[in-house]
Amino acid sequence: MEPEVVHAELVLPTHLSFKRIQMYEKYPKGQSRGRHWKHLKQIIQAENYQNYPPNEPNYVNIESPPSMHPCKRICDITGYEAPYYDPRTGLRYANADIFKLIRSLPNEYVQRYLALRNAAVVLK
Amino acid sequence: MPFISQIQRHSDYRLFPSSTPIVIDNGASYFRIGWAGETEPRVIFRNIVQRPRHKATGETVTIVGDHDPTLLKYFDCTRSGPRSAFDSNVVFQFEIMEYILDFGFDRLGANGSQIDHSILITECVCNPFQSRSKMAELLFETYGVPSIAYGVDAAFSYKYNQQHGVCDKDGLAICPGFTTTHVIPFIDGEPMYQGSCRTNIGGYHITDYMKQLLSLKYPHHMARFSWEKVEDLKMEHCYIAPDYVSEARLFQKGTKEAEDKTRLWQLPWVPPPTEEPPSEEEIARKAAIKEKQGQRLREMAEAKRSSRINELENESHGLEFLLQQLEQVEEHDIPSFLSATGYVSKQEVESALLKVRQSLLKAKGEPKAEQAELEEKTDPAGGERFPLLNIPDNMLTPEQVKEKKRQLFLKTTSEGRQRAKQKRYEEELERERRNQQDEQKRLENPELYLEQLHAKYKDLSEKVEQRKRLKTNGGHTNGNSFSGSVGRGERLNAAQRERMRLLTTAAFDRGKGEDTFGARDEDWQLYKLMSKDNDDDDEAPDEHEAELARLTSRLQEVDPTFVPKTDTTNPQSVEAPRFRPLTQEDFQIFFGVERFRCPEILFNPNWIGIDQAGLDEMAGVSIRRLPTKGQELEERLTSSVFLTGGSSLFPGMSERLEAGIRMIRPCGSPIRIVKALDPILDAWRGASAYAAASHFPTQTFTKEDYYEKGEDCVRRYQFRYYTL
Repeated sequence: MEPEVVHAELVLPTHLSFKRIQMYEKYPKGQSRGRHWKHLKQIIQAENYQNYPPNEPNYVNIESPPSMHPCKRICDITGYEAPYYDPRTGLRYANADIFKLIRSLPNEYVQRYLALRNAAVVLK
Repeated sequence: MPFISQIQRHSDYRLFPSSTPIVIDNGASYFRIGWAGETEPRVIFRNIVQRPRHKATGETVTIVGDHDPTLLKYFDCTRSGPRSAFDSNVVFQFEIMEYILDFGFDRLGANGSQIDHSILITECVCNPFQSRSKMAELLFETYGVPSIAYGVDAAFSYKYNQQHGVCDKDGLAICPGFTTTHVIPFIDGEPMYQGSCRTNIGGYHITDYMKQLLSLKYPHHMARFSWEKVEDLKMEHCYIAPDYVSEARLFQKGTKEAEDKTRLWQLPWVPPPTEEPPSEEEIARKAAIKEKQGQRLREMAEAKRSSRINELENESHGLEFLLQQLEQVEEHDIPSFLSATGYVSKQEVESALLKVRQSLLKAKGEPKAEQAELEEKTDPAGGERFPLLNIPDNMLTPEQVKEKKRQLFLKTTSEGRQRAKQKRYEEELERERRNQQDEQKRLENPELYLEQLHAKYKDLSEKVEQRKRLKTNGGHTNGNSFSGSVGRGERLNAAQRERMRLLTTAAFDRGKGEDTFGARDEDWQLYKLMSKDNDDDDEAPDEHEAELARLTSRLQEVDPTFVPKTDTTNPQSVEAPRFRPLTQEDFQIFFGVERFRCPEILFNPNWIGIDQAGLDEMAGVSIRRLPTKGQELEERLTSSVFLTGGSSLFPGMSERLEAGIRMIRPCGSPIRIVKALDPILDAWRGASAYAAASHFPTQTFTKEDYYEKGEDCVRRYQFRYYTL
């Protein structure tokens, strides 16, 4: 290791005296191990929240409901108020100049703009 | 103002008795660890882990938190980016969590055989039981911690500020964090989780949105928008507009105010080296060198020429001498005499002599025209030059017949030359005449003449241009060709494309109905069209171009202001940008609408596709969810709306929130928004105060409890936020 790296103590030591089980004991090297953690979705599913009493707060039922306000529509490119919608690309736009721009955009960029608001075409 | 981590190791770990708890604020963005009762956390670092490969040794190492980026050059970070243990504020990857805790305890100075202090660690509201029990397992079994307490960061922050008189015992805590935003109502100083709500949006989403928007706006500078840089930009420049629509309208109209609000980031840019005009000396030196070289070449050429002249002269003298000798030799002895010299007949010697003389003349530099004239002069007496032409074949010897053929050939070529010359001369005359006419017209009425000339020029150039376009584009442009995108089809010209079309239809048009090909004669034209050398370059457009060239030169003569259009196929859109030198403006990043568009997603999460209520609506949802209702209570809640969490730091947040809550509350409701003393560190400070309180040990659950009662005690665990 380079001296400045050692000096900054950048790298976490593999052995720490205050631990009762070291990292290398828990996850031995060279031993293949599958994914040993669950995604949040799996955690929530395993929790069986549907069996819980509904009046008790839990991780799932404290989520906010969908908004009741009318959605403000903004231009995907500029962020201005967008009265128009382009049915070909699916983008919202503010005026004729931006319409010209979005029609000249390559599809990749259109999809990236749509992906910003989670409206892109996702191929599975 | 980027946030600076504190990661230097502390040495006073041993000075704290094991009764002093360790307090950890385990936030999704920053990890803060310190001692109970103190006012500042000891160690703060970003809650991320990187596992790069050390370049020199090749081993995989673990790096926790953010370090000096210059030190990372020794590591290969391309294979794995920074990783977080969190998903929506819930710890789910405990291997990463373990690295982070290792680093935190290590920097706090821990050096015993285990961590012999109880721990107060924060978690999110209604943390899933699995995550909580895994954390307990990790702390008890790996670190040997005697007892643990869990608390909610927003609640600690609220209680800390309540203690300092910022907010009341009834109120709403609004906490926009890094990955989630929580609203928790407090009644009598206790958080009411039944009334809390969570939207999965936070500072992370704002930075990510900004990063995406900027890299879409400036695709050439994408590499500049690293996560850290955009995070800094967000903290420095973003603000929350009092009313998004009207603020955006300012920018749309391009008002002065909007201009003032636009920020500019000048990327480092070095102007390309400008070519300095060479100095006088340099020019003189170069000219001298050139002159010298020229001189040398001229000398060489001269030497070559004189040697050639010598050679030719010698040859011609030799031939003349031969001829003289031949005259003395008798007729029938000629062939034997000549056999030694390589010539066959006297004529051949003569013609060789003529050739040598001609080349001698040429070498001596007599102009060719003279020579040609000489030829011409002799031409009228064609009969003399080509004597054999008028004699019928049967009167000649075979040799003479051959000679006759040669003469015939010479004659026709010379005649052809003459005709061409005549034509050139006539054309010259015609041009002269036209120029004279032009000149006359110009002298008569210069303005009118110029106008006509310009009109003609324009007309012609349009014609030529159109033809060119037709050639390259096939007449029908498909909208996109102006934007500079060149598809495969657009590279071909119209004729080629038509050919391809014919070929493909021929290839795929089999077996459809009856084959009647060849029934009509025109059918066979198809092959002509298909063949490769089907080039329809006729002469007319060339004429146009020639005329255009003439007009251009004429205009340049007459009109000093005239600038001929340079090649006009598509100069602006295709050629210009490619060769335009990059300027400082190309390296400028403007933040206009982005400054308030990005944080606006806290109020409109559906802009990034999250279909949940925004910050202001969440307050209303929270009040509605409370089990105890009553106007008086609601008014007490709204008159102490408390803002904490990293994303509440945007300027304009309180004003906007007040306006938003006012909209959903009955008219005349009291609304007071208060900000935390320090929205970022107050959670840790509150937790520290609680951990130092005398009844903290009763709030914890011990290792023994955990082993005895199992995970159930973790499930039921609830921190009590007594008023301090």
